[in-house]
Amino acid sequence: MSKYDYNELGLKCGLEIHQQLDSETKLFCRCPNGLQGTREPDFTITREMRPVLGEMGTYDKAMLTEYKKGMNIVYECYNDVICTYEMDETPPFKCNEEAKQIAIKIALLLNSNIIKEMHVCRKNYLDGSVPCGFQRTMILAKGGFIELEKGKKIGIDIVCLEEDAARRTKKERKTNYFRLDRLGIPLVEITTKPDINDPDECRECAERLGMLLWSTKVKRILGSIRQDINVSIKEGTRIEIKGVQKLDWIPILINHEVSRQKELIKIKKQLQSLSLNKNKVSGKPKDLSKDLANTQCKFIGKGIKNGKRVFGINFKNFKGIFGTELMPDYRFGTEVSNKVQSISGLKGLIHSDENLPKYGFSKEDITNIKKGLNSTNNDCFILILGDQKEIKSAIEVILDRVDYAFEGVPPETRRALENGNTEFLRELHGGARLYPDTDSQAIINTDDEINNIKSQVPDYPWEIINSYSNKYQTEQRVIKDLIFTNKLSLFEELIQIYPEDPTLIFTTLLETTTALQRDGKEMEHIKDRDFIHIFRLLEEKEIGKEAIENILAYKADNPKLSIEEVKEKLHLESVDKNELKEILTKIANKNEKLIKERQMGAMGPLMGDAMKELRGKIDGSIISKELQNIIKNKLKEM
Amino acid sequence: MAKKLEGYKGKAKNILDKQSFETWDILNIKTEKTEYQGILLPRNEYSRPEFIEIKLKNNYNIGIYVDDIMEITKIGTEKADYKIPEKKFPKTKGFPEVKLLGTGGTVASRLDYTTGAVIPAFTPGELFSAVPELAEICNLETEILFKILSENMKPEYWKKLAEKIAEEANNGKDGIIIAHGTDTMGYTSAALSFMLKDLSIPVVLVGSQRSSDRPSSDAPLNLINAATVATSNIAEVMVVMLGSTSHEYGLIHRGTLVRKMHTSYRNTFRTIDDIPMGMVKNRQIKMFKEDYNEKNKGKTKAMTNFEEKIALIYSYPGLTEDQINFYIKNGYKGIVFAGTGLGHVSTQVYSAIEKAIDENIIVLMTAEPLHGFTGMNVYSTGRELLDLGVIPGRNMIPEVGYVKLGWVLGQTTNLKDAKELLLTNLAGEFLPREKPIAFNYDIDSLLRNDKL
Repeated sequence: MSKYDYNELGLKCGLEIHQQLDSETKLFCRCPNGLQGTREPDFTITREMRPVLGEMGTYDKAMLTEYKKGMNIVYECYNDVICTYEMDETPPFKCNEEAKQIAIKIALLLNSNIIKEMHVCRKNYLDGSVPCGFQRTMILAKGGFIELEKGKKIGIDIVCLEEDAARRTKKERKTNYFRLDRLGIPLVEITTKPDINDPDECRECAERLGMLLWSTKVKRILGSIRQDINVSIKEGTRIEIKGVQKLDWIPILINHEVSRQKELIKIKKQLQSLSLNKNKVSGKPKDLSKDLANTQCKFIGKGIKNGKRVFGINFKNFKGIFGTELMPDYRFGTEVSNKVQSISGLKGLIHSDENLPKYGFSKEDITNIKKGLNSTNNDCFILILGDQKEIKSAIEVILDRVDYAFEGVPPETRRALENGNTEFLRELHGGARLYPDTDSQAIINTDDEINNIKSQVPDYPWEIINSYSNKYQTEQRVIKDLIFTNKLSLFEELIQIYPEDPTLIFTTLLETTTALQRDGKEMEHIKDRDFIHIFRLLEEKEIGKEAIENILAYKADNPKLSIEEVKEKLHLESVDKNELKEILTKIANKNEKLIKERQMGAMGPLMGDAMKELRGKIDGSIISKELQNIIKNKLKEM
Repeated sequence: MAKKLEGYKGKAKNILDKQSFETWDILNIKTEKTEYQGILLPRNEYSRPEFIEIKLKNNYNIGIYVDDIMEITKIGTEKADYKIPEKKFPKTKGFPEVKLLGTGGTVASRLDYTTGAVIPAFTPGELFSAVPELAEICNLETEILFKILSENMKPEYWKKLAEKIAEEANNGKDGIIIAHGTDTMGYTSAALSFMLKDLSIPVVLVGSQRSSDRPSSDAPLNLINAATVATSNIAEVMVVMLGSTSHEYGLIHRGTLVRKMHTSYRNTFRTIDDIPMGMVKNRQIKMFKEDYNEKNKGKTKAMTNFEEKIALIYSYPGLTEDQINFYIKNGYKGIVFAGTGLGHVSTQVYSAIEKAIDENIIVLMTAEPLHGFTGMNVYSTGRELLDLGVIPGRNMIPEVGYVKLGWVLGQTTNLKDAKELLLTNLAGEFLPREKPIAFNYDIDSLLRNDKL
């Protein structure tokens, strides 16, 4: 991974974290707060969205781009968990109190100032993800900070309480399918100030925000927390990167984005130094279908036969620009073709900085194209193949994007990809799409309410990690895992019951559970009270610690049985000292020959036999001690 | 001229007044813990008096509690100047000429982004920039007749509308669209149906259930559907609104058989007791019924006299004579009952009804279940009411009964003539028979059945 001098580059990053809250019901209706997974929807409805005029009587560019895509929208609905509110057929109901209180707690943890009178606003979205065309959102708190390990404080800009959007389930040609189960789930959005100046710092900040959120009543499943990063460098532009799924991606994504912006700035300077005139660079788009009627390039030939058209555009003195690598495996040509595909649906764009014979073009083809476009060796031409509508829209996008090469980095929202690169998602939304919601009343947060929540605010998770790892002599990672798996409060209860062996509790809650899960055991069948029960039995010496794994596995398979019943089924009724002696003596008697031969070395095999019979019924160390005595006595007798 | 501190009261007003701040000032407000910068917004007069409302730079609005405020300073002023783009509505030679009459409502409006108030957007240019497809259907002219919420409609406005329509029809317009709030659209459509005699062109009422400032609004599609019907050869008064919750097709409802049936669904309008006249989808009309008048060159007359002293009374358990006596005493000329079941009222009010009829008040019985005919010969209650002189309203829904009675009594004060008119099918409000499919019709079975 390439490293940069971020200071010199003037790197500025900010984070935007979205976290679903774990309230009983949704934010503005009383539907259950949960997803339906892969369950088939009961019915679907179709809708059309249109851009609406913005504040200054113009259309938001992002909204127009979305509209130009001409996508149909289908909403997938359920009769039992969706109401007419999600379908945009009923006005909102009262804001969910529980969700509001969870959000206030989070804001207080961020040292943020709670807004006393919240106004619900509408934020327009045209991609179909919200059936009414806007997300209901409100500022819950302003200002504040989160402190990083070395003491640097990252400022918090705002904390919002809002509705989650619907989830896209599939895209079929020109139709996007959205499922309405996710729509309306309460969401907290935390926006930091652009105080982060280093990719690793950004990762740490995201991790801390995540931990902080997960120490409150929020959803802790995959996809319940989503982080976006804002990245800019000097002379660059603020770029919003969405869909960052893993913390480890953050530094990589930032580095790639830094590279992209750096290269785009370089291109801008290169164009300036060539004194190219922005308005004279691009030639007129030309239909080359006739010129390429007999092309050697198979897919173009086939496309033309199927009624598609090939268009070419020549860019004067542009040689090398389309081939400039912006990120690993991503050229300026990729950038343009990416955007074209996203907006017009037209796939694939060929440019002359590429290896054209690779596509099957013959020398004659290339001559024909160059002739058709009046293209010289210092120029760069591009080719696109599609139907008339696609081509029209694609040409607009291409000319627009090439135009912007003279300005540097166009403001965009980009989607994070697994390889650390990003792709065009949509234009950056302007502020014009935020306006008051006329369907709802202002929401008041009284001092009493805020103070009451303040008294319940927990310690910071990183403080807990520090103090617990010291107190229980364990790695910080272990405590972190407890927080991320939501088991910290259970640990606190168990350590009260069974204070002698914290490590056993850590192992049980983390490793044993994970291992069993990996074996296909359904661990959600095991409730906190079951763990408590098990450790009580352990404390009362009713079972040995070796029994824990078996009990958990059996309970997972038989969720209806109580721990007591599981213990009986596994024949774990405890063994007292006298019974133990009896059993061990029997084993020793059976193996007299072995003892004679191996003396104390017989301990191992005999212990194996003993454990077979006694596993989990009594602590292994007690068995071992007793067995040693018995063997010693036996040897003395011999 | 906007008021200086629009909507502010009590403590908040005092604080702002003291430093002569006005709405639209950009203020810096310091509180104990932090400070906020934003535009001072006008306040809804029904909201709490102890908050100051500002729009932050990020466009969010918040309210700041006055007791938290330490200091306010003014940084500047910003009064947003809203310009609506004026694109010329393109005219195409040979296209039908349609007039869009505005009465208010949300079908054509835009939003004041700061306050959230809805501003009517109505010039052809504005409509064109919002719904450019309209220019592919017709040449459009617009005129705002009133700017009212439809709950504030009154007979006087129906008259103005009817006169305007007759004028436009006789001046050669090919069709009329009326943008109307949905609450009382059914009343207006009934009133226009009775008032417009020998109507020669299509008259289409249209509205929206989601206001047009929302990306998900049903207004654009409703307008496109309305324009399609307004340029057809159906010379009737109709309501054209979405037929399902999807943005797929509109249904064409006869003006005297249509009713708003849901507070908020897009497909709130339904034809009652019959199937819709037809549907409109992708700018194509498919008719389910053929019993309509065709567009013609005849002269449209507006007969707009209307008797406003008509009462509409729900029959319910506990109804007493007091209500009826009130109307008698106050000189009402007609009473329409929404009677229970087949058209009944409690025997408790018989003597008041008798008295009303004695005083030459026409009493019309409609059915509260909305669907079906009054059947006043089935039970003794019905027979007794008929005996008292109550007129059965057949399949008319109560609101249409109300409008018809008012219109009839506007045409004649002769009781015999009035009763006769009342029992005549004037504008398709009476049905000869109820099709089995009419109750609970759904679009799939309408499309499946060739013979309806």
